[in-house]
Amino acid sequence: MVEKIIGILNEIVGADEGEIAPDTELFEEGVLDSFGLVQLLVALEGEGVTLDVADLDRSAVSTPAKLAALAE
Amino acid sequence: MFILESLSNYAKTDRTALIYGADSLSFAELERQSNAFAAYLLKTFGADRTPVLLYGHKELSIPAVLFGCLKAGRGYVPVDTTFPPERVRQIAEEVQPKLIVDLYGLGLAAETVLDGAALRQILDGPGEACRETWIRPEDVAYMLFTSGSTGKPKGVQITAANIAAFRQGVAPWFDLDLDGGVFLNEISYSFDVSVCALYYALSRGMTLYTVDKQTLNDPKRLFAALRESDIDFWVSTPSLAEICVQSEQFCRALLPKVRGFVFCGEVLTKKLCGQMFERFPSVPVLNAYGPTEATVLVTAAQVLPAMLKDSRPVPIGYAFENVEARIVDREGKTLSAGEAGELLLIGDSVSPGYFKRPELNEKAFFLDEATGKRGYHTGDLCLIDQGLIYYLGRLDGQVKLNGFRVELEDVENNLTRVENVARAAVLPVLTDGKVTALTAFLLLEAPDGLPSLQRSKKIKAALAKTLPSYMIPRKFVVVDAFPLNTNGKVDKKALAATL
Repeated sequence: MVEKIIGILNEIVGADEGEIAPDTELFEEGVLDSFGLVQLLVALEGEGVTLDVADLDRSAVSTPAKLAALAE
Repeated sequence: MFILESLSNYAKTDRTALIYGADSLSFAELERQSNAFAAYLLKTFGADRTPVLLYGHKELSIPAVLFGCLKAGRGYVPVDTTFPPERVRQIAEEVQPKLIVDLYGLGLAAETVLDGAALRQILDGPGEACRETWIRPEDVAYMLFTSGSTGKPKGVQITAANIAAFRQGVAPWFDLDLDGGVFLNEISYSFDVSVCALYYALSRGMTLYTVDKQTLNDPKRLFAALRESDIDFWVSTPSLAEICVQSEQFCRALLPKVRGFVFCGEVLTKKLCGQMFERFPSVPVLNAYGPTEATVLVTAAQVLPAMLKDSRPVPIGYAFENVEARIVDREGKTLSAGEAGELLLIGDSVSPGYFKRPELNEKAFFLDEATGKRGYHTGDLCLIDQGLIYYLGRLDGQVKLNGFRVELEDVENNLTRVENVARAAVLPVLTDGKVTALTAFLLLEAPDGLPSLQRSKKIKAALAKTLPSYMIPRKFVVVDAFPLNTNGKVDKKALAATL
């Protein structure tokens, strides 16, 4: 799952392979803002993974690994 | 002016004007504080009508400052904290205000600068209502700075008469028996959709339930706020609702009192309309449209299920009764129903023009000989069919992103000022026909050897000094050469094909 999330992120923000790691702090590092997060969630939904934004703490989805843990 | 009349009328009731977190402000307090601010302005600056510049976000003290300016017969320029310091300074240099209210200690220069504490003292001070000094219909009430294609923001001047025309035009559409009730107040005061809250909702004695950008940026907090808001009426960009519908919890149970949704500021997709119908059965969804230059909104229509089956986009609505919408071709010839061309708006809500930009005013505004009223070239490609107006796209490089107006050339100009960037082309990324992000293509002066994300972080940091965050592209792509069209210009269509 975490590879899938990183793959989608690479596509959304234009990162090279390996630049985003499972523990990259997405908001702190300026990789994502809230609209970017929504774009990611929509893409994940397309892959059959649904996360409810109303329950998402920013700190709980701040890295690809945390996101993957929630999605699994 | 109608809003000042309304404020003093509701000040005699026990109604609440604003709620922000645990704090609230009654109409009586708003009246008293705005009188105090007006008294301070008149005492300190006398008859000088230079507009007041206000740098802040959604603080409870802001409406009292804005209405205090109007009570003292002068306008205001609200600048949100979304604007980076350099852009705020550009605006201050252009406006040359005598007074700046700076709630975030930006260190701006003016004859007088008030910080939060100094402002509080003034608002708590004395002040009597004095109608003789109120703003006159022809005076500029506020000025909003929007993205300009030269890379420098331009100030749209709106008079008290323009606002009155807006209020008159919008009333039949927002008139859902809403005398009192709660109105969602989430739009920054430097964007004109906030005028719906300040000048429509407050004039109907409604309570503005205020949501700040920290809350908007954190879905969990946003839902907690919405849950306790008990709002009756929702006006927002489609983008905000698109975030919300990502959760199943965004439904009638979350907002049991809601009686209407109005979307404006960018393309409303059929997908979102369908989701809204499902989540909020029998609650009307309106699509509305208007450029800042014609005062917030000039068209509206209720979205009907049949419109979603139509091959055309969701219409932006019928022109308000006091606005004429006209479609013209490149030569300015009026086109017939169903033909696509530029939308012109003619009526009392059209701005007197941009601040100190005669050359731009010449191009964008005109006096309509037939009616003697002012008109504005929207630059929007539209068609009208049976009175309903359909938006088809822009005639220039302007896009609407999450409700914000962005001139792509503004972003490009600022990008070429970034170190090592030789040339830039910025393209909108479209999802379901709606702009969801910007991608910048860059030609570098010399290879930088950086991995893509590191480079984009560096460029984003440089851009953040001059551009508000919503104008910063999400993705940066380095090219070896730009595809050119026959005119020698960057071929954006060819670039778009690579997105």
